[in-house]
Amino acid sequence: MTEDVDVDSAAIWPADAEDVDEGYLANWFVREGSAVDEGETIGEMQVEKVSIDVTAPTNGTVTELVVAEGGEFTRGDVVARIRPSA
Amino acid sequence: MATESRDVTQATETDRELTMSRAMVEAIAWEMRENDEVFYMGEDVAEYGGIFSSTTGLLDEFGPDRIMDVPISETAFLGAAVGAAQAGMRPIAELMFVDFFGVAMDQIYNNMAKNTYMSGGSFSVPMVLTTAVGGTYNDAGQHSQTLYGTFAHLPGMKVVVPSTAYDAKGLMHSAIRDDDPVVYMFHKRLMGLGWMPSPSGPKTPVPEEDYTIPFGEADIKRHGNDVTVVTLGLHVHRALDAASQLEDDGIDAEVIDLRTLVPLDTETILDSVRKTGKLLVVDEDYQSFGVTGEIIARAAEGALDDLSEVKRLAIPDVPIPYARPLENEVNPSTDKIAAAIRELHE
Amino acid sequence: MVSVNELRTMYEQMVTARYYEERLQEEYLVGKQPAFDISAGPIPGELHLAAGHESSGAGVCIHLRDDDTVTAPHRPHHIAIAKGVDLKKMTAEIFGRKTGLSKGKGGHMHLFDPDVNFACSGIIAQGCPPAVGAAMAAKKRHTDSVAVAFLGDGAINQGGFFESLNLASVQNLPVVFVIEDNDWAISMPKHRVTDVTDGSQRADGFTMPGERVDSDDAVAVYEAAGRAIARARDGNGPTLLEVQVHRRMGHFMGDAEAYRPESDISHSKRRDSIERLAEDLRAHGVEDDEIDEIRERAHERVDEAIAWAKEQPEPDPSEAYEDVFTNPPAQATTDGGYSDSGSTSDAAADGGEQ
Repeated sequence: MTEDVDVDSAAIWPADAEDVDEGYLANWFVREGSAVDEGETIGEMQVEKVSIDVTAPTNGTVTELVVAEGGEFTRGDVVARIRPSA
Repeated sequence: MATESRDVTQATETDRELTMSRAMVEAIAWEMRENDEVFYMGEDVAEYGGIFSSTTGLLDEFGPDRIMDVPISETAFLGAAVGAAQAGMRPIAELMFVDFFGVAMDQIYNNMAKNTYMSGGSFSVPMVLTTAVGGTYNDAGQHSQTLYGTFAHLPGMKVVVPSTAYDAKGLMHSAIRDDDPVVYMFHKRLMGLGWMPSPSGPKTPVPEEDYTIPFGEADIKRHGNDVTVVTLGLHVHRALDAASQLEDDGIDAEVIDLRTLVPLDTETILDSVRKTGKLLVVDEDYQSFGVTGEIIARAAEGALDDLSEVKRLAIPDVPIPYARPLENEVNPSTDKIAAAIRELHE
Repeated sequence: MVSVNELRTMYEQMVTARYYEERLQEEYLVGKQPAFDISAGPIPGELHLAAGHESSGAGVCIHLRDDDTVTAPHRPHHIAIAKGVDLKKMTAEIFGRKTGLSKGKGGHMHLFDPDVNFACSGIIAQGCPPAVGAAMAAKKRHTDSVAVAFLGDGAINQGGFFESLNLASVQNLPVVFVIEDNDWAISMPKHRVTDVTDGSQRADGFTMPGERVDSDDAVAVYEAAGRAIARARDGNGPTLLEVQVHRRMGHFMGDAEAYRPESDISHSKRRDSIERLAEDLRAHGVEDDEIDEIRERAHERVDEAIAWAKEQPEPDPSEAYEDVFTNPPAQATTDGGYSDSGSTSDAAADGGEQ
């Protein structure tokens, strides 16, 4: 069984917000169980008032939305998990 | 209509949910790819992507000739949209806040809205005027109005007010393809902005392909038998919340989302009123001489014998105040809607 | 020639205005971090701060009396402070309190203080026509009062601005139009939306002089504004002034300024008209101790106003129905409608009668 791939907030952190560590999950566009394609926009996070798209790192199925919509997180936190399609 | 029901089925099957702003942008982008004559102009619509994210990402794909920042000169650029439309293009012009219509109303209601008629139909004005409406975030009297009734009152404009992402996309496709001027009024609170959180309702599944929602078809967002609630925009969601609160008490409200004011789907309202006999109209515009009065008049004209009681909730003819307790007082709340439904039911 | 006392006054107004914006920024962000929600916290709604604009308000308003009229745009705090608007009541208004200038009905973009003839419009350039009207009233009444309309550089492409210039010009009215050029109309750089680099050239189409102050040097603003206001007061008609300022904060709080080059932001922050004015004071023999004292006094006044404002009561919801008219009609227009539900009905009826 393949392992879940983390959607890592640090990997999509905006370059001009290096001095900030707090983020806010503004929107999810998928639910747990949704099929996603690599590169697809699955959510929207906000750092320093700037919105950044959260994209799927792989094809697969969303197994967990770790940070709920409206939730806060720290840079490096996993915000979602995706089970890669075989 | 057949197309729409097909789309609804597909929509329920899609995994993807969008915010209203993203759904709007998707429709605009699709139309711009299909038709070189479509372009978008407004203040802060290029690099900024629209103050309310109405054009996010479009500059990257279409460039500054088709996603065009313009000076703070609403008379000039809204009037220019009229001229470009009369020349056969399909401009979309954004009025940043509907409250700003005051500086440019002549172009809107004397040119855009009337030129088709005054030319005896020899001119048409196939443009879309997009504009942000609504309050609930304490921005006071010059930045919080909806003015739904003002635009619907003046003949010659089609007036669209989406309340969900699904509707926003379909209505935007229809607006751009329409040969008449369409005023597309999007509520800031429904756009899914990170900095102005939406209620949960407006984010819906949205098919990736294009689809249209015909104007003049209200949508029954909740079916019920006891009381008819007719509303639009943000208050669709407040009415749905109120209706679900009342479920436990055995009150079964029907919530009708008008979706377009011009044309207005009178039949759907009358059908519902014939069933329930009780009508509540909820509007975020000023009460007098507006949407609530019009809906009640149509109900009275078409189904007077079936009507036992009517009520309306709207902004009580005061400018929108700034302070939170004052704005909360005048903007019909979920609780006030629930109380009004309850009173009608008793 | 500017006097040392005038330098002191301008300095005090400018440090008051700067510190005011810094403190409001802090208060505004309460309840809005890390998730920025515009409707949360003690100051909701949009907030347009004027840090970097201080030289304009201070350098112009120092020439004005209480009976002179000023209209300000959506970014009004520094102008209000320089015009002598009651700081406590203004702050209470921004916090949406009952004892605010407008009892919580107007908010920060709509500050009104009749005691010093100060008013705002949150709509671009729409403070210009009322300023022309104030000047018209002064002329008709044969007083020597003048009016000043402040507007941003983005506003000089608006019809209301051009129409005001013409009306003021053709009737030779005592009004001065002050363009605060901060180079940006929200995200749109001036060169992309305005056909002239010097906004005072707009005067060329009318029979009025135009003058640009190419820096935010308060003394240079003082001198140019002095000429224009004296001209108006002497019955010689309107003037169009443009003064260079800097937008040190975003267009509004919450504006991440992603569109704005980092170099432009840092450039705006480097130039500090307040520091420059402090140097002028020193050159006039004012000791550092006294400069510090002025600054501390200004800070205390701001802190006191904010502390006072936060203690003020919020308006009662029933007050929403008051002040629609000066002479309210005997019967509220909402009678029998909206007012039917809950406690609102009494409030509407009572409020309408007051």
